[in-house]
Formats: sequence, C-alpha cells, structure tokens
Amino acid sequence: MSARRLHAASPRVAVTIDGAPAMLPVGESLATALLCEGHVLLRHSPRDGTPRGAFCFMGACQECAILVDGIVRQACLTPVAAGMAIALKGAS
Amino acid sequence: MSARQDLVVVGGGIHGCTVALMAARGGLSVALIERGALCREASGVNAGTLTMQMTRVALIPYALRAHAMWADARSWLGHDVGVVVCDGLSLAFTEREEELLSYRAGKRREAGAPIDLIGANAAREVEPGLGEGVRLAGHCKVDGYANAYLTGLAFHRALTDAGVTLMEHRAATGIDREEGGFAVQTAQGVVRGTRLVIAGGVWIEPMMAWLGVSLPIKVLINQLAVTERQRPVMRTVIGIASGLLSLKQYPHGTTVIGGGWQGVGDRERGGVALMPERLIGNVRLACHAIPALKEARLARAWAGLEAETADALPAVGPIPGIPDAYVCGSVHSGYTSGPYLARLLADLILEREPALPLFPIDRLLPPQAGRAAS
Amino acid sequence: MTAPLPFDIIVLGAGPAGATCAATAAEAGRRVAVVDEQPQAGGQVWRAPMGGFPGKGDADQASGDALRQRLVTSSATRLLGHRVWSVVRTETGYRVDTLGPDGPTALEAPSLVVATGAHERVVPFPGWTMPGVIGLAAATVLLKSHGVVPGRRLVVAGCGPLLAVVAAGLVKAGAEVAAVVDIAPRSAWLARLPAILGQPRLAARGLSWALAVAKAGVPMLSGHGVRRVEGGAAVARVVVGPVDAEGAPADGPERVFEADGLIVGHGLTTASEVTRLLRAEHRFDRLRGGWIPVIDGAFQTSLAGLYAIGDGAGIRGQAMASLSGEALGWHLAGRRAEAEAARGRMAAATPFSDAMAGLMAERPAQVRAIAPDTVVCRCEDVTRAEIDAAVAAGATQIDQLKHFTRCGMGPCQGRSCADTVQELMAARLGTTREAVGQWTGRPPLRPVPLGEVIGAFSYDDIPIPTPAPL
Repeated sequence: MSARRLHAASPRVAVTIDGAPAMLPVGESLATALLCEGHVLLRHSPRDGTPRGAFCFMGACQECAILVDGIVRQACLTPVAAGMAIALKGAS
Repeated sequence: MSARQDLVVVGGGIHGCTVALMAARGGLSVALIERGALCREASGVNAGTLTMQMTRVALIPYALRAHAMWADARSWLGHDVGVVVCDGLSLAFTEREEELLSYRAGKRREAGAPIDLIGANAAREVEPGLGEGVRLAGHCKVDGYANAYLTGLAFHRALTDAGVTLMEHRAATGIDREEGGFAVQTAQGVVRGTRLVIAGGVWIEPMMAWLGVSLPIKVLINQLAVTERQRPVMRTVIGIASGLLSLKQYPHGTTVIGGGWQGVGDRERGGVALMPERLIGNVRLACHAIPALKEARLARAWAGLEAETADALPAVGPIPGIPDAYVCGSVHSGYTSGPYLARLLADLILEREPALPLFPIDRLLPPQAGRAAS
Repeated sequence: MTAPLPFDIIVLGAGPAGATCAATAAEAGRRVAVVDEQPQAGGQVWRAPMGGFPGKGDADQASGDALRQRLVTSSATRLLGHRVWSVVRTETGYRVDTLGPDGPTALEAPSLVVATGAHERVVPFPGWTMPGVIGLAAATVLLKSHGVVPGRRLVVAGCGPLLAVVAAGLVKAGAEVAAVVDIAPRSAWLARLPAILGQPRLAARGLSWALAVAKAGVPMLSGHGVRRVEGGAAVARVVVGPVDAEGAPADGPERVFEADGLIVGHGLTTASEVTRLLRAEHRFDRLRGGWIPVIDGAFQTSLAGLYAIGDGAGIRGQAMASLSGEALGWHLAGRRAEAEAARGRMAAATPFSDAMAGLMAERPAQVRAIAPDTVVCRCEDVTRAEIDAAVAAGATQIDQLKHFTRCGMGPCQGRSCADTVQELMAARLGTTREAVGQWTGRPPLRPVPLGEVIGAFSYDDIPIPTPAPL
C-alpha cells in the first residue's frame, strides 16, 4: 500500500522510529504519516503474531495501537510531534 | 422431571459445582440448578487470586488445602483453569501499613501460612517490577492465581462427564419440603431431591427464606479491572497490607487489578456501575506497586458480587432444624478456599468424616426465631 | 480529585447530531458541554481537514466548517480531543469522566445526550487482517480529511453508498482503481430508486459519483464479494467471486486483481456503548444497524435524562442526524414549537434514509458463510471455528462466549466483531439475535492509558477504604 499525499506536507519534525531518526510532517495523524512513509505494517497481533496495519483510521479498531514515548497510543488519534519516540518493533 | 434425585444443588457457582461434582463421583444422583450459566457470577468474574495473604486467619488451613487442589485441578477437575503457582507479596508503603502487615502476617503465620517478612531489597529480588517506597513485604511462596473466567467451562465439562443433570438457565423460584425430601420450583417444572444444598452465593439469603430460615447475607460489590495485553511487567501476585489491592499479570499479558473497592449495585440488579474515583484509586495503588503498568491501557472494568455473613466467616454445613438440607457459601476469598470447603460438605453428605470442621450456621441465626420448626 | 464541572446538558459526540444539538441548546441559553475524541467537531461525515491538508473544498467541507463555526460562536463548552472513559448515573443526573490533552476532567449534568454515531461493519474473509486492508470509512477519512490516497492500485469492495463515494474520490485523486466490487445486485439499487429520487440533491450526488467511476473505465462488478486477500505482510492480490442475493458466495468464476490495497466495508453498526453501559433498554433492529437504544418521541431512552440521537440511535444518515440534533436541542431548551418543526422535517426525510439504511444493513447469509479458519475477533485472533466450538461446549449467550474464547476481550472491546459474532452464535444455536443478546457494556468506554487515568498523585492521598477483617 504505497500511499501518497494530495498536498504539500506540513513542515517535518525529527522523530525516531525504532530508534532510527526520521522526519514526519508535524500535526499529521501519526497513522497516516507512517503510511505515507511506507510503514504499512505497524505491529503483530498478540496471540497469533500475524502482521497488522492501521484499519479504521478513526479510533475504533485499535489495530494502530503502538508504543509512543513508552505509552500505548492509537496512531490514528495521535498527531505527529517533534521528538516522538515511535516503537513498531516489539509493540504487541 | 419427576424422578427424585439423591441430591439437588441450587446454585452453579464454585461451591455448588464442587459439591455436585464430588457427590456425583461419590455415587449420588445429582441435579444442579442454575438461573444463568455455570460460574458466571462471583465464581467467574472474581480476580482469580489464590492467596494466603488476603485469606481470613480462621480459613488459612482450608485455603492451604484448597490451594493444593487448585494446583492439581487437572487431576480432579480435568482442566487447569490457567492456574499458576507463584510467589506472593503483600506490600507496606507507610509506617501504619508496616504495623498492619507485621501484625496480620504474624497471625496468618501462626495459622500455618508460610509467610516471611522481608525488606525492600529482598522483595525486589522476588519481584523485579516493584516500584519505589516499599518499606516491608510479606512473602508467601504458596500463592498464585487462576483464570477465573474459565471456571464455568471447566466445571461444565467435569459435571457433564460425572453424570450430573445440569439445569442451566433455569431459575429456582421456591423450595418446598415434602415427604421424602424437597421440591425445588422452577418455571420449567419441579425438581425433586432427597437432599438439598443451597449454594446461591449472595442469593443464599432469599433462598434460605423459602425454607423459613433467616440468614442475613451482606452483598459486597467488588470492582475489578483488566489491562490489555502488555510485555511482561511482573511475575508475582501483589497485594498491600490493607488488602485493598490484588494484582497479577497473566501469561497472555493482561493484568487484573482488584482489591475489593466498592462499586454500585445490589442483589437484585447485580453490579450496576463502577465509581470512577474508586477505579482511579485502585489503579493508582496498582501503578504505585508496579510502575510499568502505566504504559498499558485499561481495557475493561466490571463489578462482581461477594457474599459476606455477619462474622465474615463461611456458611457451610447443615441447615438447623431441616434434616438433609445444607448450605454452602459466603466464603471470604471464596475462590481460593471454595473448592475445599465444598468438598468437605460433600464428604458430610456422603457420610464420610470431613477432614476439617465445617462452618455450621447456628452461630449466625437468632436464638430460636430464625429457625424453621422441624 | 476535584469536583465535576456542572452543566445543564452534556453531549457525547460532536458530529452532525451532537454538534447541532449542543449549538442549538446553547444558543437557546442552556449551559452545554460537548465532548468528542477527535480534535475538531464534524464527526465522520464532516471531518475537518488536518495535518496541512487544506481540504477538498466540497459541499461536505462547507457544511462541516459552518457547523464548527456555529459551535465556536455558541456558548457551548467544547471538550475536543477528549476521550470519554466513564459515564455513571448519579442522584442528580449523569457524571462523565474524560481524558484530554491536559489530563482528566469530570463533568456532570441532569441531561446526557448520546450522539456517538456508528462503526463500520466489515464482515470477515480470509486475509482481512492483512496490512493494506482498510475500511471504506477509513478511506473517506484519508481522502477527505488527511488528503491522502492510500495506495497505488486499489480494489474497492463491499456495499452501500460509501462504495461509490470512495471509488469516485480515488478516481478524482488520480489513483488507479482496479475494480469496484459491490455485493448488492444492480437490482437492489433500482428497487430503492424511487426513495432515493425523493431527495433530488442527494440522488444527483450519487449519480455523479457513479458516472465518475464509469468514465474512468473501472470494472464494476455487481453481485460480487471478496473471497480472500493474498499477500504476506502487505496486500498483493484480491480475489473476488459472485455472491447470491443474500451476500453468500455463489457458483461462478473467481477473478483476481493485482492490488496493493483493499478498501472494504459492509455497512454500519450503531455505536451503542454508552447506552449499554448505563443499562438503558435496547432492541435489535437489523435495518437500523443492530442493537439500538429504545427511545421515545423526544429521543429519551428508558432512563430519565438520557437521550440518544443520530446514527447512534439507529442508522439514518447525516440529514436525519442533523435534524434529530436540532429537534432535541430545542426540546432540551424548552422550545416546543421549534422542536416540533424539526421533527416534522425528519418525517419527510425518512424514505430516503430507510433506502440507504437498507443497503448498509447486515446480511445474515454473508456472515453465516464465513469460513471456519477465518479470524473473526481481530484483537484476540479468535476464528469462526473457535466460536462454533464454544457453542458446542455449551455457550448460549454472548457474554458467556466471551469467557469461553476471549472473543471481544481485546482492546477494541468488541467494536469490530460484535455484530458478526452475535450473528454467528445465533445461527449456530438456531435462535434469534435477541436470545443471544449483546455484550454487557463495561467501562472504560475506550481503552485509556493507566499512566494518564491516574493523573498526578501522592500515595498518602489515595483514599484506601477500611481493610477487610482479619
């Protein structure tokens, strides 16, 4: 799923994704920003370990719940902010 | 349903199910009547803690034997109900809690519970997930937990295999004494038995009233909460000196937070609502004890009813003045001790000598007024 | 903990129903608080552009902007970006606890309006948990609010009006749509044409969407459904095949579409979490999205002071949602004539909303055809076969099934699977949806981080109750 923006992205800010530096547009929904950067796979399901990505993009399904700054957050409800530490690996 | 059973059990929680199971295995024909599904009230929605450190002193000898039953559930129940035996810690964070813990642990130890008092560093060795501020801890190696919500499924299979006539979704509406036994009224017809066990949890009080016996049972509305699955953050059962916290993380990653904080509800409506401030208070205690819980999310909270007699000790034994009728319930920390107490009652019914004394209810009845004429 | 902030009315949800109700009542002089999890009012249909996207400048955006402006101008207190986690009944009304950007907040009021809208239903098929499969409603969020096309080459599948909306939106945005796959036979649309034509403006919009898709030469498959998605960590192919009039797979050739994404949805279910939590009376109404709160002519539920409007009170769409918000807003402000007038306009809009709801209702045969190995509960990876096994083991009610399987115990709290699981259970038991029941509502209404719900505290301030006897 190679997503693309229909507009010029807002100014990018520095974050880390699994410890690696990355630049994401500030204020954009984190789920959408990750999708546009090619992160379709966000986590694995806790019981069977199957790959999962954002699904409903409106806060209901919990598939995009990942660790942000050490707390489980729904990426679709979390605006990108400078300095965010985003964990995709190891998030359950 | 006209054939008379040797035993009719009213109430399909952990007490009723265990009595029915043991009596059937002892050779009696048994019918079990439950208004809903098995173990869907207190027996299925409690925190699943199997602990000595929240058990009443008088119940310690029973709880120790019950703990052994749970640890060996696969052999007598046929299913392990997710039982994990592990260390338990009861924590003291203040000077007052330290005093309370020293006193209470000492009393429980005298009653046979293998509890040692240890310092903060030793406690952290037992439970690396502990937060700051622990002054003293009670350490018990005979602790653990079960997955309470699996209890009903396990008993359903065991009782079916044992040949018990299961009558789920069938509410008893009255009990009459008759020649040769008892007639339990239900909307779907009468169920007859030579002997009767009332094991209706908080509903024991109205059931006893059908027999003309006044046994007041207080209803506690215990709030419980569970997190979503999370990385391993703890490996013991945690409580605090006051007993107002019970905490354990299951192998699949969820953590159940309990401790008996009171919600809104009653016998008629069940647990109706959870008080947000009390939920927050309970969760604060949990996060204070195990700080890594802060990274997880609260997934669900609920309330379960707990029955308590006037002296907070069990009602397990014959019903005075009514031959062949028995009551079984109201066991404090009943999930831990319930199976053993119920087995003792089954022994009595099967005319075997119970290994430990029961808790007859004579002490709880008014001198004469509450007793049925025999 | 500080005392709850007092209001006359608390409105949960700031979509067309909730925001209209809040603004109307506030303009008429009532003290109103309106709470929504999203950072801006507008709900799903009028979601505001965000993250640097200026918006599409279409009619929906204009309507949303107007509502947002109206709400700002009114005296209503807006608690946006606030997640409601607890709602309880008190002696004087209702108490609502939220978690916002600045931590916990508590509110109380004698009247509580539930305007929580709907969830999208996606009936499971093999591969539906794969990254790259998203909802139709999700695609509208991405296209209309975030300004993002969610793939290079996409299959759009399912049923209902959103199919055409999303397909047209993708075509207009220059995306390649591999196919539009509609469960409904073409005749289903025709049968509803008279009702649809009763609303000329909306009918014209629907027609323009369909034309845009047809003009782009996109294959349109009516009477077809998704058989499975193939790929691994991402979607590679979508396999579709014919379905019968009830939505169950039918004989006929499968077709394979190479795609990097599948956008799929099968209608809407009501978001009834709040009314369930409060134990209000509900009834099952398949056309209206499943279990819905029973309400009287003034939108009051079986509990005094608790009201339900919009799609959360039964799927009827935006026009009806806005009107119900207006009617209740006037009603709660004591303005009977205005309330009556708004209710009159609702009656006129009913045939159209019924026609649309019919296209979005659950198809039992489609659910009953789910294959045994297919995951139904996404959170806990519970399959159809495990649900059937639990029924065989004696589970007869939905709460019991949860205990047997952990189905619905995960963080989505059953939102994604409730409708499907209840239907599967009813089918297996040969009984009604009413007999199977619905999951008991439990707090928190949405998962909340423990670290946030506890706020700042010192241990000595925790009000620990008296210990149990020794």
